[in-house]
Amino acid sequence: MSKSDLTISLNEILFYFTRAAFGVNVPIGLSEDFAHSNIWIAENGFDPSLCSLEALNNLDNQVSSLAIKFEKLNESGHFFCHEDKFLSALEASVSVVDWIEVSTPTDELKISNVDAPFLVVSAIGANQCSGLTVSWVDQDKSQYQVNFIDNEIWEIISSSVNPIELTSGADMLITSFDANDNIPQGSNIKKFNVTKAKLKTLNNGVQVRENWQGIYDYFSRCLVKSSAESRASGAGAGMVDTD
Amino acid sequence: MTADTVLLDIDSDFMRPPEQVMRLDRMGSSFPTRLSFMRTLIRRMSKENWKFERTLREVDKDGHGVSIYSASTPSRTYSLIAFTQEIPPEMRTDRVIAEVWDATFNLFDGIPSQEDIDYLANNTPKQEGGRYRPSELVLARANKSLRVFENVIASLAEGAQPDLDLLSSVGYLMRTTAVYGSGKFGCADRAKIADREECRAPFQMELLAVYLIRWFTIDSVEELAKERGGEKAVKLNTNTRQFIGVGNSTGLGMAPFLLKHPALIHNWVVAKETALARVRSIETPIQGTLEVFLKSLLQVSQHVDEWNVDDDVQAHRISCLTDEIQALRIWCEDESNIFRPYPWNGIYHYVEDNFSLECQEMIVSLIIEPHGSLVDDLADTMSTTLIPKFKADMPLTQLKAIVKDCYQWATTIDFSLEESQHHFWYYSEDKLEPRFGSKGVDKGVEQEMPLAIGRDVHDLDEMLSETKDEMFIAEFVMLYPQFRHIIRRIQNTFLRPYSEVQDNLLGESMRPLDLLRFKLAFFGASKFDPKSDLWTRISMYQGAPMPEQISEPNHDCWSFPIVGRSQSYPCMNCKCQKAI
Repeated sequence: MSKSDLTISLNEILFYFTRAAFGVNVPIGLSEDFAHSNIWIAENGFDPSLCSLEALNNLDNQVSSLAIKFEKLNESGHFFCHEDKFLSALEASVSVVDWIEVSTPTDELKISNVDAPFLVVSAIGANQCSGLTVSWVDQDKSQYQVNFIDNEIWEIISSSVNPIELTSGADMLITSFDANDNIPQGSNIKKFNVTKAKLKTLNNGVQVRENWQGIYDYFSRCLVKSSAESRASGAGAGMVDTD
Repeated sequence: MTADTVLLDIDSDFMRPPEQVMRLDRMGSSFPTRLSFMRTLIRRMSKENWKFERTLREVDKDGHGVSIYSASTPSRTYSLIAFTQEIPPEMRTDRVIAEVWDATFNLFDGIPSQEDIDYLANNTPKQEGGRYRPSELVLARANKSLRVFENVIASLAEGAQPDLDLLSSVGYLMRTTAVYGSGKFGCADRAKIADREECRAPFQMELLAVYLIRWFTIDSVEELAKERGGEKAVKLNTNTRQFIGVGNSTGLGMAPFLLKHPALIHNWVVAKETALARVRSIETPIQGTLEVFLKSLLQVSQHVDEWNVDDDVQAHRISCLTDEIQALRIWCEDESNIFRPYPWNGIYHYVEDNFSLECQEMIVSLIIEPHGSLVDDLADTMSTTLIPKFKADMPLTQLKAIVKDCYQWATTIDFSLEESQHHFWYYSEDKLEPRFGSKGVDKGVEQEMPLAIGRDVHDLDEMLSETKDEMFIAEFVMLYPQFRHIIRRIQNTFLRPYSEVQDNLLGESMRPLDLLRFKLAFFGASKFDPKSDLWTRISMYQGAPMPEQISEPNHDCWSFPIVGRSQSYPCMNCKCQKAI
C-alpha cells in the first residue's frame, strides 16, 4: 500500500488522509474534515495527494500554522494567522466553511496567506456551499477563480495552465457568485459536474501518484510498533488456530 | 416506511430506553432477530427468485484451483471467485496478521472475464497484500476446520453421512477470518452500489459473499468425496446440508466500526427496539402466534444444548440460560400467565424481572419472530446516508444543554481514576491489526484511536463550564479545535438516542467482546464462541436454505437451528407450520 501510482478508493482516502493529518498533530476533528475535502477532490478527478502533501509538509516543518484569528470589518470578515507563518489550509478551510454557515450571503471574506488554496476550495465543495466565488492570486502571480454555481456545477477560471492543486501562498477572497461577471480574455475555463464526476470516480477508482508515498508516511505515524508482547496479547487471539 | 414513521415509535411506552439498551452487558447478550441482515437477504433472494449457478470449477484432485459461483438477481449477476491452495497446518491463524489461507475470495460485480480471473489470481490469495478494483465488491478468506472438513469428506466418500455430533460441535466446514467490503484495499466504495435495491440494507454484499462461501464449502466437500470415493460416494442429506453454516472469527476490527458510525447504529437499534415495542403493545395476540412461541421454547432448548463453548463465562451463561428457558416453559404452562391482554408484554416483563440478560435478549428475539407481518418493514430503515455535519451556528448554550441532558452517562464518569482510563485502542504496524492496550503496560498511547467518546464528552463538558454562554460554536472551535470532532458527534447524535454505547470504553473491566457480539447479532450470527475478551468465533447461515431451497415456502424459518432438523419452529409468515 505504501507504493505510489496506485488506484485507491474513496474510503481509503478517508482512512489514510484522516490519519495522515493526525500524524502531523492536527486535531482529529480537523483531520476528519481534511479527509472529506480530499474525497471531494478525488471525486472531481484530481489526485488528492498533490495539494494535500504540501499542506501536511508545511505543518510538519512548521512553515504553516493552525493558529487562526478572525476580525470583522463592516460587511466583511478576515481570517489570518498571527504568527509569522502561512495559515494552514487545514484550519483555514474549516473556519471558512463555518463562517459561510453563520454569515449572510452578501458578506465577503478575506483569508490571508493560505498555504494551499485548493484545499479551501475543496472544503467549500465538500460542504455543498453554492452561489459563491473564491478567487486568489498565487505566489507565481497566476490568477484563479472558482465559481460554485449550484450544488451540481462548479468551474475553474484561471490565467495559468498550471494545476490548480499546486497553487500556494495566496490571499483569498470569497464573495457571492455573480453570473454576469466578465471573464478575463485568455482565461482557461474548466467546468465540473459533481454527480457525473463522482460516478466516474466510483467506477474507476482514484489515481494517486508520487505524492502518495508522503501521505502514507504521515499516516504511518499513527501506527504503533509491534513487539512480541503486543503481537501475542493485543488482539487476544492465538498465533495458530487449527481445529 | 420512512425514518420519520419509525421515530414516532420512540415515544411508545413499550420502547426500552437507550440507557437500558445501550449498555455493554446487554449488548454483549444480543441474539439475532428476524431483522438481522442475513435474514433480510434470504427473504429478498426468495422474494425476487434469485438464481444460483456454479459456473466454473477448475481444480486438481485435492480441490486446489479456482471456482466461480454466481447469484443472479432480476437485474444483475454477482460472482464469487474462489481460489484454493495447500497451506501448512501451522500457518493457519484467525489473526489479521496471517499470510496464507486455505481459500480466498472476491465477490465480483458482474460476470468476470478471463482477464479478470487472471488479475485476481495474482492478487486475491495475497489478501491485504493485493490490490483490488471497483469491480470487486468484497474480499474474504477462510480456513478449513480440519477435523470436520476431512471427516465429512471421508464419510461421504465411503457412502455414509458424517458424524452429526462432530458436525454439531463445530457447525461449519470452513471459517472466514475476514470479510472486507466498502472500498477496502481498492474494492468498490459502498456509494457505487448503495442505490441498488438489493444493497439498501446494511452489509448485503458482504453477507451475499458469505452465503456463497457457505455453498462453496458444501459443494467442495461433496466434490472431493466424489473424487475420492467414486461411485460409492454420496452427497450430504438435505437436513445436514442445511444445518451446515459457515464459521467466522471476529476480532477487534469490528469494534471501531461500531463507534465510528453512530447514526447507523441508532437506526439498527431503533428498528429492533421498535419491533419489540410493536409486539409488546399487542393487546390481543395474532392467532397462532402464542402457540408458535411456546413451540419455539422447545426448539431453543435443544439449540442451547448444542451450543458448546470453552469460555468459562459464556459456558456459565449458557448453563443459566438452559435453566431459565426451562423455568419459562413451566411458567407458560399456566395459561393464566399468557392467555390474557398484552400477553407479549407480560412475558417480556416476567423474563426481565426474573432472568439473566442472556435470557432476556433471547426472548426478545423469540417474541419478535412470529410477527413478520408486523415488523419486517422495519428492515428498510436500518441503513443511513447521513454524513455528519458540523453546525457552526449552534449557540453554545444549546450545546451545553444537550451535553447536560443527553450525556450524563459520560459526564458522571470519574476519569481521574486510573481504572477509568486503563485501556486504549490502537492500530499496529503489523498489517494495521487493531489492538487493545493497557496504559503503563503497552506502548502506543500517543497513537490512541479516537474512540474514547465518554472521555471526550467529559472533557468538553469541563471546558464548556468555563466558557461564557455568549459564544457561537464557530468561535469556540477556533479557540479549542481539539473539541471539533466530539461536538460534531454530539450535534449529529443527540436526536438519535440509540447512537452511543453508554459505558466507558476505556475502563479496566471493559470487554470488547460485548461490542463484537452486538454487531454480529445484527448480522445474524449465532453460536457465539468467545476465545478471549477480544475475539469470538461464530456461525453464520446455520440452518439457512441452500440455493436450491431458496424458493421453498419455509425459506424464512431458520432461526435457532438444531442439528438433524433444519426446519426451525413453525413460522406464521410462510405457513409451513411444521411440527417440532
